[in-house]
Amino acid sequence: MNVQVNRILTCIQCGKCTGSCPEAGKTPFNIRMLIRKKQFQYAIEEGIPWYCTSCGACTLRCPRDVKPSEVIIDMRSALVEDGQIPLSLQKALEDTFVQKNPWGRSRSKRGAWTEKLDFEIPHVSETKEKRLLFVCCIQAYDPRCMVIPANVARILKKADFEFGILGEEEACCGNEIRRIGESGLFEELQEENTTNFKEYGVKEIITLSPHCMNVFKKEYGDTGINVSHYTEVVWELIKNGALDIKGQYEKKVIYHDPCFLGKQNGIFDQPRNILSAINGLQLLEFSRSREISLCCEGGGGRMFFEVETTYQRNADLRVLEAIERGADMITTACPFCVMTLEDPATEKGQVVKELSEILMEVL
Amino acid sequence: MSYALIVGEVRRGIFEERNLDTIGISSLLGKETCLLIPDNAYTISEKQVDTIIKVKTDEEAFLNPLNLVGIVEQAMNTYGKPDFVLFTHSSSGMESAAYLSGSFGLPLITDVSGYDKDTGAFYKSYYSDKIFGEFRCVGQAPYVLTVRSGSFKEFVAEKAAFPKIEFIENVAVNTSRTFIEYVEEEKTEIDITKAEFLLSVGRGIGNKDEIPNYEELAGLLRAVLSGSRPVIDKMWLPKPRQVGTSGKTVKPKVYLAMGISGAFQHIAGMKDSDCIIAVNKDAGAPIFQYAHYGIVADMHKVRDKLKEMVKG
Amino acid sequence: MNILVFTKRVPATQEEELRILGDGKEVDLSKLPFKVNDWDNYAVEEAVRIAEKTGGTVTAISIGDAESDEVLRRAIAMGVKDGFLIEVEKVLQDPYARAMLAYNFLKKENIPFDTILTGVQSEDDQFASVGGILAALLKVPYSSMVIGIDNIDKDHLVLRRELEGGLQERAKVILPCVLSIQSGINEPRYVSIMGVRKASKVERKIFKAKDYEENMSSLIEVVKWVYPPKKGGATMLSGELEEICKQILGIIKEKGVYQ
Repeated sequence: MNVQVNRILTCIQCGKCTGSCPEAGKTPFNIRMLIRKKQFQYAIEEGIPWYCTSCGACTLRCPRDVKPSEVIIDMRSALVEDGQIPLSLQKALEDTFVQKNPWGRSRSKRGAWTEKLDFEIPHVSETKEKRLLFVCCIQAYDPRCMVIPANVARILKKADFEFGILGEEEACCGNEIRRIGESGLFEELQEENTTNFKEYGVKEIITLSPHCMNVFKKEYGDTGINVSHYTEVVWELIKNGALDIKGQYEKKVIYHDPCFLGKQNGIFDQPRNILSAINGLQLLEFSRSREISLCCEGGGGRMFFEVETTYQRNADLRVLEAIERGADMITTACPFCVMTLEDPATEKGQVVKELSEILMEVL
Repeated sequence: MSYALIVGEVRRGIFEERNLDTIGISSLLGKETCLLIPDNAYTISEKQVDTIIKVKTDEEAFLNPLNLVGIVEQAMNTYGKPDFVLFTHSSSGMESAAYLSGSFGLPLITDVSGYDKDTGAFYKSYYSDKIFGEFRCVGQAPYVLTVRSGSFKEFVAEKAAFPKIEFIENVAVNTSRTFIEYVEEEKTEIDITKAEFLLSVGRGIGNKDEIPNYEELAGLLRAVLSGSRPVIDKMWLPKPRQVGTSGKTVKPKVYLAMGISGAFQHIAGMKDSDCIIAVNKDAGAPIFQYAHYGIVADMHKVRDKLKEMVKG
Repeated sequence: MNILVFTKRVPATQEEELRILGDGKEVDLSKLPFKVNDWDNYAVEEAVRIAEKTGGTVTAISIGDAESDEVLRRAIAMGVKDGFLIEVEKVLQDPYARAMLAYNFLKKENIPFDTILTGVQSEDDQFASVGGILAALLKVPYSSMVIGIDNIDKDHLVLRRELEGGLQERAKVILPCVLSIQSGINEPRYVSIMGVRKASKVERKIFKAKDYEENMSSLIEVVKWVYPPKKGGATMLSGELEEICKQILGIIKEKGVYQ
């Protein structure tokens, strides 16, 4: 508690956090002001902490190590313990507790995405390399996103890259859960997953979602397991010739950096390298890319909760810019980004493809 | 005497259509039918029951389980114990049936939706309507049943003669529960029961923010937006737009159900729609058993595509 | 005010495919996740709110196996003072038997109450009867489908109950009474995992059901379990999204509701 309070007191109110916040200006959310209020222990309006998308920009920019993202999580924790959180968030948390995924879909169907494949994927315990492909809740259950693990599985198989899965035993990684402030539930998920990792001797984890990668790498403690995002693995496979990109792809593709892949974990080049290795593909960039990529607003629990204010969403702005730049499609490597971008994209006639979907067309 | 005592479903002077289900099951069970109702001017089809027992008490008192128990007791004392006491599984039926069972130690099976003539077992749904239990009463008659509306009305048979009329008087009125008044829901311009085309959204919608998108689609298709209970409980749509047993019963020409699983309480509110089109992510959703057309897909994707096609 | 609230641990079946074992002998619940019965959650929340308003205490009671302790801990985390588990060896399907068990327990243990709350029904058996039967056994007034408690006085309360078609009925009920609570009566508070852990420190008393089995026999029994008959079912539209939507528009045009 003490360390946390001290951190808040070191804030010099420079405003760099609000300056980089994707919610600033168009919503009542002002992170600099919230830290100020915390310094004086003023009350915070109930709905306000839920605006944060966990993009992490404030924490990355802060010259004083105040870690505003963590302060938000603490504020949310207090609301969670009090029980006064929006109903839709309650439902997501309760569903995660019962079915180990925030959509409350049956745990027994977590491996259903494998049914589309014409080959069997072994349980990670049955593999030699003990390399785990961690699927993620969205990609295990959402019909739109279920194609992604199937694609990546096919791609890895093509490269003769051994991997296994947990199937039904996979539980939500807990990245969003921790950011919503339910630390108790996060601990339960962490324990369940790490127990399984240990029991099956998992040495490496390849994640499909940057959110899963983030929490395994930074917030699961010292597991001794090497964690990477699938784009890192795929780029290596392309580099060493295990994957041969044959096809032509005469399209203008604009790449959107996901916050948890890019700014928070420094993976900017691998997805771009993969795209650049495709013949005919013209790689376009957003005005805000890499470290300053514009958060899609899918993270931080925003996928499960609707804020009060009506305003033009960042996803909307991204799609408009993509169209303006003449892109044939937007691509990204995060299921949250895919889902948040796709809604406005479909309305405006723009296409969103996850990176593996493009790869499947050219391998 | 082998008879079934039906506790009539009445409300504000109306003899409800769901009485056909209790009359129907009585016929199916092969029992003489005695209908118990308050002594008011109800419109009852002429030859559907053998006896009508009119109780000299007002409607609200009749519907009060505390009083009804006394009324049934009087009927049993006067006419002998029936083999069955039948209720509809409704807001009044479920209350009174349970209170009756507890008052006299009578076997009770609720929400009965089927009857096996060969085994004498009653079908009762379990586990989100995914399993039926076949139940038998093992205690002493009379057996108390509440029946699911719509389940037995096809078995109503016309009787040869007009019903005998009997009366029950001197009804004791219990004061530990008293009716104060009816409370209508707020009047709004929207009356979904009058709509020809309903676009109904359910818990699959996921998020309050999606509502305006469905409002837009409804507008484009010239449909009226309605919803199932979970959406109304969360106050994402106002109560007058709720379809289901505790909301409105609708019979539009087209009922487009999106993200609705098909819990029975909802189905009961729309199953007589001319054409039911259901969109749901879950191929096993019960609604596909009641719909005329089914689509296994993400409701938001279908919405967006429909919007695109209609606008373009 | 002394409030008792019954709460039940039920399998989560909404998203699951259920299997019947042994030629109809039993339903396989072994792989299902469990949770608190939704209606009971609303009832516990309502009980806690009443206690907060009237300065009373709430005791939660659960009839079930040892695992049902989970829902008692949850109730305590929500603000209930005590939790009692009436541990049964085998599931009692008959609501009359369950109500009789509860009745015997309340009488033998001399549990005082001004109001007993139950949920309208359980998600698993959907009987919607234990509350009403228990009220009759206790010889107290009863109301089911309670969608609002407007006023609480020392000796009575005024409630609204839900009828069909959006209509409600306002009624006055003298205390003590039994009420069955309808979902949507309130917005239940969230119960965090840490909250449940803290609640674990409050002792939950365990009672054995066999000590309260006087006059408790099942008046109904299950002959067997079956799958519901498939009702013909829908014509499933398939194909690409575009094709499907074209068909949908075609159908609604044919019905004459859209041009």
